Amino acid sequence: MKKLEQYLDQVCRRIGGPRALRQHVRQELREHLLDAIAQHKTAGLPEDAALERALAEFGQAEEVRSELEATHGQRLLAVVIENAMQWQERTMKAKWLWTTWGYLALGLVILLQALFLTFLNIFIVPRFQLLARHGFMDASSVEAHDLSWMVNWPVKLHDWTSNHTTLVLLLALAATGLFEWRVRSENKNFMRVAALGTVAIALTIILVLMTGSMLIGFEIGAPRVEPMTRPWAVEQVGSMSKSLTAIEQALAKRDWSEVEKQTDTAGDSLRQLSEGPALASLTRQNEAPSVEELRVQLNLAREELGAVHQASAAKDTSRLENALLQLQEAWSPLQAAASRASR
Amino acid sequence: MDTELLKGTLSLLILSLLSRKAMYGYEIAATVHRDTDGSFTWREGSLYPSLHKMQADGWIRGEWEETDSGRKRRYYHITPKGRTALKDKRESWAELTRAVNSILEKTNEKA
Repeated sequence: MKKLEQYLDQVCRRIGGPRALRQHVRQELREHLLDAIAQHKTAGLPEDAALERALAEFGQAEEVRSELEATHGQRLLAVVIENAMQWQERTMKAKWLWTTWGYLALGLVILLQALFLTFLNIFIVPRFQLLARHGFMDASSVEAHDLSWMVNWPVKLHDWTSNHTTLVLLLALAATGLFEWRVRSENKNFMRVAALGTVAIALTIILVLMTGSMLIGFEIGAPRVEPMTRPWAVEQVGSMSKSLTAIEQALAKRDWSEVEKQTDTAGDSLRQLSEGPALASLTRQNEAPSVEELRVQLNLAREELGAVHQASAAKDTSRLENALLQLQEAWSPLQAAASRASR
Repeated sequence: MDTELLKGTLSLLILSLLSRKAMYGYEIAATVHRDTDGSFTWREGSLYPSLHKMQADGWIRGEWEETDSGRKRRYYHITPKGRTALKDKRESWAELTRAVNSILEKTNEKA
């Protein structure tokens, strides 16, 4: 009677409406079929044949189901689940689909890795070499950590691949050709996927080691920039202070062209201080003022210098005096930071 | 017999049978088979969508009843609305058969 229940499942599973209705319909159809089976058995058929006959007379499950659905509507969830199951069954059987997908995914990964490796070799490793040559990598720091190999091996790999790329490609082609020509195993597909997977893993390891080595090597070997920048930054602060004094003197003489000239010089000093690590070199770790605070003051000073410039263009003495006061107020923390840092 | 023709008359047949007495699905199918000497060959599964539709229209009502053997069966009873529908359907059927017969007879005469 398992077949009878399977048939009833097929017919009733998707009928819309409440669960009780589905149960009633199912019971009603079951009673009908049981009556029909009993009738055929009475007529002399064995049980299996009686069941087959009763089901045949009742009609194809799909047809009966569709007529019942036309009367009671469809159960959306059941339809979705059934369609999903059918799709799953179809796709699970589609061996070609999964094989093709596997090849495409692996091929794409290997291609991306090869492109990235090429990019590293052409653009990044030469720059890395240049940094080391120009002293931006402190060899003694790297050696102190026993990490010289980290700095050296990406360069060696770069040199080796530059000289042997053609050979590597030819070997890979020859191996692929040999494999396709000679191997006749039933597991050939799996072997191919395994080989591609191994290549992908090898390339991943090379890439991780290469980028990791360069990053860690640079992190350890890069010298501290602030001590080198500090004298230059202090020089810019001095230049700015000198310009301020010169503006005051020119103002006393009403020498507007000198005021203009010194304002431009001051502008250059402020711009140079705002670039690179200059401001950071005027600070000390864990001491006020911080770089952010100095940057705020520097921006303020640039704004006030703009006001000085406008007042000078208008030849407005009182406005200029007022703007100069504001500028000196904004500037003083930077001046203080420079004198402290220079100690 | 042409099942398409039968489909159009299924509700008439069911209402007609139920006007005699209350019946359950298999009994209706068996009675149709017996009374027509097996001329009506149909998918028995088609009976239930029709019964449920007629019940929804209020022409019949179904009730579960337990038999002596302990089996439960759903008996269908014709309602007053169903009797009115049966009357209308009988008249339509008589009119249709009359019209069809008339054409068939005239065709036979010419032949």
